[in-house]
Amino acid sequence: MATISLQNYTLVITGAPYSSQAPQTALSFARAAIAAGHTVDRVFLYGEGVHLASSLSAPPSDEPHWADQWSRFLSENAISGVACIASALRRGLTNDSEQKRYELPANNIREPFIIAGLGEWVEGTMASSRVLYFHGGD
Amino acid sequence: MTEIDTLHILNKAPEHPRSAECLRAIEPGDALLLIESAVLTLATCSELRAGITLYALAPDALARGIAQNAVKASLVDFPAMVELTAQAQKVISW
Amino acid sequence: MGTLIVIDQPPYGTWAGREALDMAFSLAAFDQPVALLFTGAGVNWLRKSQETTGIGQKSVEKNLSAALIFGVEALYADATACARYGLVPDNMVTGVAMAESSAEVMRQHSHTAFAG
Repeated sequence: MATISLQNYTLVITGAPYSSQAPQTALSFARAAIAAGHTVDRVFLYGEGVHLASSLSAPPSDEPHWADQWSRFLSENAISGVACIASALRRGLTNDSEQKRYELPANNIREPFIIAGLGEWVEGTMASSRVLYFHGGD
Repeated sequence: MTEIDTLHILNKAPEHPRSAECLRAIEPGDALLLIESAVLTLATCSELRAGITLYALAPDALARGIAQNAVKASLVDFPAMVELTAQAQKVISW
Repeated sequence: MGTLIVIDQPPYGTWAGREALDMAFSLAAFDQPVALLFTGAGVNWLRKSQETTGIGQKSVEKNLSAALIFGVEALYADATACARYGLVPDNMVTGVAMAESSAEVMRQHSHTAFAG
């Protein structure tokens, strides 16, 4: 008889939407994990993955809107979504306080995503029982 | 469900260098789950070493019209993928 | 035990290796055990005498020499990949341990991660 071991997951997405399948695979995984009673502690966007947190992506209406789907999922399940600050700032993704610090003309982080340091990922490796990575395919 | 030491999750097409690295790194007692472009490995890879269980993510295999090649692999859905990651001692995403 | 960060992409042509190094430094900064494994084209990180002024990037050689000082426990290089790229101790940065089997190094760590 299989024992049910409930896990708490940190999901790390390093593949960008529209250049990889990573955001879709990770979202389907996260939905299935929660449906099975597991916990998703946090979702950490790293490298190219930070593009998922942009509030300015506007795909054609007949294509899936991964950033929108992810932000709804995070809000509905009260899961913290964190974009790595170094990855984000390099790639033109910023929030209000970083906009002010670097005197940028705008900010574009999509709620409920926040921008924070790699310490959030380190915390995941220490506190979550599973850390799963969703990489780009190239 | 059988015990899995390390669950290797591969998402790269067979030509990607990490695909070959992953196939080399798998040991008896491990399991390999093919997802995304890696399901194409079902068409190219004739043999896996003995003692390795092979899975392929069904939605990805179906999307690529390759599910019928999965004679040596078990097709799994997302709930089963979650279960594999929960049961394995360790998970490596290639 | 601890985390193994794997770099299998060559330097300069992609940022993934730098972001992998950031992950390793970050773990070390939080006093978490971490080691780096260079494999595939990633072993080219370990070549001596990288002169990068012409491409406008900082040399990764300097970042690497800081790794052991900042608490990264070991730098492993896959021996087969080194042989493929003509890397021998003479033309490599110091402090690198040759690994006959990358898989074995992975088995010795509880958590293995690529940066992308």
